[in-house]
Amino acid sequence: MKRFNIVGKDIPRADGRAKVTGTAIYTDDIKLPGMLYGRILRSPLAHARILHIDTKKAKALPGVKCVITGEDTPKIKYGNWRLFPNTQDEYPLAVDKVRFIGDEVAAVAAVDRDTAEEALDLIRIEYEELPAVFDTDAALKKGAPLIHEASPGNISLDRKISYGDIKKGFAESDYIREDVFTVHAVSHAYLEPCSTVAQCDLDGRITLWTSTQVPYIVQCLLASTLGMRENDIRVIKPYVGGGFGGKMEMRPWEFCAAFMAKKTGRPVKFTLTREEELATGRRRHPMKIYSKVGFKKDGTLVAKDLKIHLDGGAYNSMGPTATFLSGNFGAMLYRIPNYRYLGQHIYTNKPPAGAMRGFGAPQSLFAAETQMNMAAEELGIDPIDLRIKNAMVTGDKIPDVATISSCGFIESLKEVAKMSNWKRKRRTLRTGRGIGVGCYSFISGGVFNWFNTQYPFSAAEVRAFADGTVHLLTMASDIGQGSDTTLKQILAEELGLKMEDIRITAADTAMTPQADLGSWGSRVTLMAGNATLEAAKKIKEVLFGAISARYNLNVIYDMECKDGRIYAKGRPDRGMSFGEAVALVQKANRGKPLVARGHYTPRGKGLVTPAFSFGAQVAEVEVDRETGLVEVKKMWTAHDCGTVINPTGVEGQLEGSIHMGLGYALSEELVTKEGKTLNTTFLDYKIPSALDMPPGESICIETYEPEGPMGAKEAGEGLVSPTAPAIAEAVCHATGYRCKDLPITPEKILKGLRKK
Amino acid sequence: MNISGFEYFSPRSVEEASQLLLEKGKGAFVMAGGTDLLIKIRRKLLKPAVIIGLKGIPGLDKISFNRKQGLTIGATALLSDVAHHPKILRHFPAIAYAAKSTANTQIRNMGTVAGNLCNAAPSADNAPTLLAMGAEVILAGTQGERRLPLDQFFIGPGQTAIEPGEILTAIFVPTPPPHSGVSYQWISARGKVDISAVGVGVMVTMKGKVCSSAKIALGAVAPTPMRARKAEKILSGKVLSSRMIEKAALEASREAKPISDVRASAEYRKQMVAVLTGRALSEARQRAAKG
Ligand SMILES: Cc1cc2nc3c(=O)[nH]c(=O)nc-3n(C[C@H](O)[C@H](O)[C@H](O)COP(=O)(O)OP(=O)(O)OC[C@H]3O[C@@H](n4cnc5c(N)ncnc54)[C@H](O)[C@@H]3O)c2cc1C
Repeated sequence: MKRFNIVGKDIPRADGRAKVTGTAIYTDDIKLPGMLYGRILRSPLAHARILHIDTKKAKALPGVKCVITGEDTPKIKYGNWRLFPNTQDEYPLAVDKVRFIGDEVAAVAAVDRDTAEEALDLIRIEYEELPAVFDTDAALKKGAPLIHEASPGNISLDRKISYGDIKKGFAESDYIREDVFTVHAVSHAYLEPCSTVAQCDLDGRITLWTSTQVPYIVQCLLASTLGMRENDIRVIKPYVGGGFGGKMEMRPWEFCAAFMAKKTGRPVKFTLTREEELATGRRRHPMKIYSKVGFKKDGTLVAKDLKIHLDGGAYNSMGPTATFLSGNFGAMLYRIPNYRYLGQHIYTNKPPAGAMRGFGAPQSLFAAETQMNMAAEELGIDPIDLRIKNAMVTGDKIPDVATISSCGFIESLKEVAKMSNWKRKRRTLRTGRGIGVGCYSFISGGVFNWFNTQYPFSAAEVRAFADGTVHLLTMASDIGQGSDTTLKQILAEELGLKMEDIRITAADTAMTPQADLGSWGSRVTLMAGNATLEAAKKIKEVLFGAISARYNLNVIYDMECKDGRIYAKGRPDRGMSFGEAVALVQKANRGKPLVARGHYTPRGKGLVTPAFSFGAQVAEVEVDRETGLVEVKKMWTAHDCGTVINPTGVEGQLEGSIHMGLGYALSEELVTKEGKTLNTTFLDYKIPSALDMPPGESICIETYEPEGPMGAKEAGEGLVSPTAPAIAEAVCHATGYRCKDLPITPEKILKGLRKK
Repeated sequence: MNISGFEYFSPRSVEEASQLLLEKGKGAFVMAGGTDLLIKIRRKLLKPAVIIGLKGIPGLDKISFNRKQGLTIGATALLSDVAHHPKILRHFPAIAYAAKSTANTQIRNMGTVAGNLCNAAPSADNAPTLLAMGAEVILAGTQGERRLPLDQFFIGPGQTAIEPGEILTAIFVPTPPPHSGVSYQWISARGKVDISAVGVGVMVTMKGKVCSSAKIALGAVAPTPMRARKAEKILSGKVLSSRMIEKAALEASREAKPISDVRASAEYRKQMVAVLTGRALSEARQRAAKG
């Protein structure tokens, strides 16, 4: 395997110091002269027709500079699935109808927040309340109230996958089981609530600073909803305090800030409160998952029939992608010769679900992995052995779904079993203690161009200077996951430079090359990494040529750039420093700067992704059989993310994933009653605290992904999926309670115990 | 934060504070750590015209212990002071534990035990133990001072027996009789840092194997922290066997009148009252045997 200098090292994060010393500027830290503060008025009803809005009193309040409703706007619908305009179902501010409690109806900009807040109370709205539906079963009933006229039956879209012969598959099965799983809504709970500042210059151009994962998407959709040209809008992403999928769309406050800045000529800022975030923000899709699987007696998987109802809430948001991916993940991990999937994305009168770390995988894999554990139990086969027997391997192909070009799944399973002392603990743990396994596979970015971008998926520009520094420009968005550091590492490695030789400008749509689809789907390392690598290679090529000419080298010489020097590989004395080489090139071109561009768009990779990650996780728990409380004692993880670019970065992703998975399994749940979210503070929305985090051990299985930069693939999202099924299995091992409806609560455990 | 438009005073004595409180009338609130008060303001549940900070009053944070009389916790003594006070840890471990079970480090470094009681949440972590130990609150107004058993202090959710112009200056806990044991037990859904879904404080006093008196107080299962008096009666004068403990625990569970909310269902809370009362009684019995 290739030896690296900087890749594979624990390079400290580029943003770490700024964040811990408090000097990092987040959007809400930005204050511009004359800036107004915006607030949004939201619907108090789950489903209603807007009859009349009276903003007179609000406008008359001293300090209020602008009040808008849907009627004042161009009324252009938007949504991320631009390729299919009929999926674009949202207006920036409600027009005619509201569809969930929290739907944005009007906005106020005033000289301060309190005044804006006060003005909201002065807006009078007359509604005609309509019957509403709050779960997928009710939404699908005949005669159920229609949420969007264009979607009869409240089904906004469906996705089918089918290969093999499902009938034959089940006919050939010795053991068939059918289960229904339900999973709940959880919040991204990013630390930084959404925030946006918009400024309009005298030419009418907009600059928007916003807490987003997708500057390019925001730029484009802002342009279309405002009726402007894309490049008259500049979107800048400052430091972002997490997104997890919750910031991957254009959102109403971004529109309102820009629209009102244009209208008033003054900068406008919106920052959401935590209560708004929890009560009305995007969330992970609740799902009802019908899964039927067939095995041979010896444990060979033969067939799987999967049907999923996604509770999408009031709008599509990123639901179409989740619908798509849930079915793909249902087919992953194991070789299933006969497979059928039907996913339906269903509207309900609740805050919309959207993308959230794992993007359909946590739900789909909770069902798949739990069912695998149940099958193992009934077939009398060890759960890890059953997985090894069916595991996917390098070279496996599923038509339209997956081409597995690298896969360390079996190694992960074996390694995690060893680390956790699996076999012995499965046999010997006392009652109340349990151990369980869960696995995952995930995509390294999407292939399907639903946004219908006319640009490459990722792009990079590298500028090399005679002083030995280089400047990397990319639209890729570091939202806390560390992509700025990772991309710099890739570039430094390729050019033989040090981290401090590289400056990065990222995520500014006016300054960085078009385009980058954003930070989601674990796409950045692979896609922006490939784009960066390509630009670096072009720079190298030019420098190598210059050295070759300068020393009149034989054409058979290999060239190298390493430790800040560029030279002939066999003759290190034939060379010079990186900066000198750049100067030479520049001289030869009579001053022309040395700049190269790279880009990446996945091609010929099916419909899903260029590369899959894999992994296995084991959880050990202790359950108090009187109170039903679960304590996770330890987590072991073995996973394959290809070449590890930054071990600390991967470890951080793993720990964050366990934290999120822990909450998903045990404590987090957005509780709604008739469409109203009841727990809107962190007091009652229970993310695990630092003290609840279990200790863990992990190991990266070394593979080399041919499609990834220097062999790398994803490590950011997949890891969030195995935790819930592993804990659920451990709880079952400890208590006999089998969880088929997340979250696992003390009350469910106690009820489950009693039945035994 | 939408916290604006109030006057802030930092009086130097209790008399001054109480005078201000009377003078400023209905819109005036006293503040200790502010960890409940400020949040209520932010959520627009309160709109004070005047806030009177107590932390500037010299000596009000005093914690004193005298074996004969008992423990006095000043109104501005922090939760963390109480949780780590060597004498409290030694002589009133359950009180220290309850303080330590309240919120998280940051909040404990601002909030007070007195504020926890005055806020009068049914789930107040410090109430059950203090109730079980027969604590009193000392209330001072412009007319002078009065002492009130904690039993009579809680009136409803967020409501106490404090009269206009009065300030709680200290909490007094009598030293338990010999051969007594005290325990506080709580649970919540989020492991180690959380508001309790149920809390139980008990004190038993033993005469040999016989329980001469038992006091059981329940948190978060009724509109106010409450005593489980029927359960207490069951134990009084009986040998404190495991079977008796179980019986009392079930009785306490019957007495509890919890509601269902996002933190737990009523049914689960009732069940947990039994579990925690049992555990608290067992621990108290053990501690009594040592003391
Ligand atoms: C994140 C978080 C977690 C929390 N977790 C818990 C928990 O686990 N358990 C728990 O029980 N509580 C919890 N709380 C609530 C709160 O921290 C406690 O109730 C705390 O003890 C309140 O003390 P304080 O000094 O901050 O009170 P303050 O907010 O200053 O006052 C509370 C109320 O009492 C009144 N008051 C205060 N002092 C006096 C006085 N001397 N005389 C008369 N009236 C007075 C005030 O006017 C106010 O109405 C939590 C709060 C937060 C923000």
